[in-house]
Amino acid sequence: MNWKAYNPNWAHREAVRAAATRWQKRGLLSSLQLAAIVAAHPLDYYRPNIFLRITLFIFTIIGLSAASGFMALLFSGGFHSGTEEVMLVTIAVLTIAGGLVLLEFAIKDSHLYHSGIDNAILYYILSWTVFLLAYIIYELAPIGYRASSSLTSPNTNTLLLLTLPVLLAATVRYADRLVAAAAYATYLLLLASVLLRFPIGRLLLPFVVMLASAAAYFLVKKLAQRPDYLYYKPCLQALKVLSLVTFYLGGNYWVVREGNALLSDTGLSTQVPFAWLFYFLTAGIPIAYLVVGLRRHDRIWLLVGILLVAFSVFTFRHYYSVLPAEIAATLAGAVLIASMIGATRYLRTPRHGLTTAADDEDDTRKINLESLIVAQTANVPQPAEAGFEFGGGRSGGGGAEGTY
Amino acid sequence: MSPDQFLNELQAQGLVAPEQAATIRKDEQTRPFSVHYEVRTLLYLGIVLLTGGLGILLYQHIDEIGHGVIVAIITLLTAACFGYAERYRVPFTWAEVPRKGFVPDYVLLLGCLLFLSLEGYVQYQYGIFGTRYGLAVFVPAVLFFWVAYLFDHRGVLSMAITALASWLGVSVAPLSAFTDNHFRSLSGAALGLGVVLLVVGLWSEYQNRKRHFSFTYISLGSNLALLAATASLLEVYPNSWLSPFAAAALILVMSGFLVWYARRAHSYLFVLLSAVYSYIVVTYLFIRFVDRSTSHDEGLLLSLYFLLSCFGVLVFFLNIKKILRINS
Repeated sequence: MNWKAYNPNWAHREAVRAAATRWQKRGLLSSLQLAAIVAAHPLDYYRPNIFLRITLFIFTIIGLSAASGFMALLFSGGFHSGTEEVMLVTIAVLTIAGGLVLLEFAIKDSHLYHSGIDNAILYYILSWTVFLLAYIIYELAPIGYRASSSLTSPNTNTLLLLTLPVLLAATVRYADRLVAAAAYATYLLLLASVLLRFPIGRLLLPFVVMLASAAAYFLVKKLAQRPDYLYYKPCLQALKVLSLVTFYLGGNYWVVREGNALLSDTGLSTQVPFAWLFYFLTAGIPIAYLVVGLRRHDRIWLLVGILLVAFSVFTFRHYYSVLPAEIAATLAGAVLIASMIGATRYLRTPRHGLTTAADDEDDTRKINLESLIVAQTANVPQPAEAGFEFGGGRSGGGGAEGTY
Repeated sequence: MSPDQFLNELQAQGLVAPEQAATIRKDEQTRPFSVHYEVRTLLYLGIVLLTGGLGILLYQHIDEIGHGVIVAIITLLTAACFGYAERYRVPFTWAEVPRKGFVPDYVLLLGCLLFLSLEGYVQYQYGIFGTRYGLAVFVPAVLFFWVAYLFDHRGVLSMAITALASWLGVSVAPLSAFTDNHFRSLSGAALGLGVVLLVVGLWSEYQNRKRHFSFTYISLGSNLALLAATASLLEVYPNSWLSPFAAAALILVMSGFLVWYARRAHSYLFVLLSAVYSYIVVTYLFIRFVDRSTSHDEGLLLSLYFLLSCFGVLVFFLNIKKILRINS
């Protein structure tokens, strides 16, 4: 029984081609050899450029919504008033069933492979499935069981418990990274929703989240050893990022303190127990990620580390504003520029297995996109009516709190 | 599955010689880890932070004694940036010049941003442009165009175009449709500038005058022109000189042009732009049409329209290679 929706050979051939192209660029293979390898690894799937994928995604979502709407309008004549529940459930069931058939058919027939269309259909089906589950649990449950929809209510527990296997099954079959991410979020929510029913849960939650993230990380590492790793590579990479991020967030001081405030009855943000521990984790984890990323040559650890350093700076500045935002931004900018120029000069000849030279020579596209980023972020002042507003530019968000 | 296993397979298939495989294995192990894009991103972040912070500092301390020091520092910094970039400058040609590393490019960008802060300050304090505020934006626009061509820098080119647009009272930032509520700016000037930028982009491509600049010109220009035409189609800004139907025709023509260009340049961002804008136009016209006919099944008709039109669009894209005869 093959439970993979797409041809597993596609992922494998794609990876071989990518590796061969890299070797050819580094002058280790002749272009004739590359051509032979490409010919031996044909790719007959349809997955266009990222911009086309976005286009396809948008239009598929509009089309599917229109289909559901069309169905609803057709049916609205056939049902008597008072049976709206039946109509809604019918539409949901029909949408899900029809969508599944459409998805399978599109993959088989048009060889779609994460092309935007199949992603959109999958998300659409899954959203309706979760909606249907929630609707049945919250609305159609016997009156006595109709409880609140708060995170700790039994209804929410049931919903999360039923959603998780659906998302996992979809991940196993379609290997979609967003679905995998949603499954991971459901897993953490389920844990929290069970834990918070106990009085001690609030105190333990940060540590449980960290433990659960670490467990997920090691599971991902184990799964990456499997022979069908390439098929699931996007999912496993997404999960790796998420587990690193949630491990940090579990110990982040801002998250713990504000989360506590949110969960407490008073809603006041007050000092939390073990604050020193969370300070330490907030400061230490991003740096540990950076070190691991650079030493083990792991881009995911490195990038997550960079982002989390920014989040830790935000956390710190949220509670202690040592410097006004504009001075902090100026200093941080100067330090960043100086250290990056320093790093570039230092790594001009590769050291410690690191280099600042580009991996691929052909980066025209990326520079093109960079010019759009400059157009978006570099602020050229508008000619103002009164000279006062002229100039300045906006701060890049170095600090969170400053008022200016 | 690691590169090692790929090599074993390729070797077994006779596509890679054993000695070659050994070389590749060695290279895979010793190849340094590239932090190129990470360093670039952080460098740009640093530039944005520094210039943003300095800009605010300048205005906060404008009446204090210390402002002279800040101005002096910024002047020195600006000069140092331009000097540094000049040292690494490759003599001008109309082709793309080879790079000597990316740091000089970012230093030049920093210099340009610092120049903006400085110029704004000087205008405020000494009013060198008097009340001709437009001139205060026009000067950097001209300077940046010159710098962009002299140093062969696409980022500075973007800034030059932004400054030029700002002189006309228009925002060309790619996402300005979502962030800018001044629909006033989406007027004839925006449309005109957009078309001019398109033409310049095409000119540089066909005349081979800094051909690699054409993406910046055409992407900013087409987005601006399409946005302006769409705004006037939807009558967000009532203007008398362009009827909604002329605007619709203009958008469709421009979208067609962009699809043609995307095919030529293999840049599918333009297909996304043209598909979204032309779908808005067609849908708008269809809704106007349905509104006029007093049918009571409007909802059904509309949902059927969305269903079929989206299906049509998808079929078009699935067969785009056949339709546009793309071979790649």
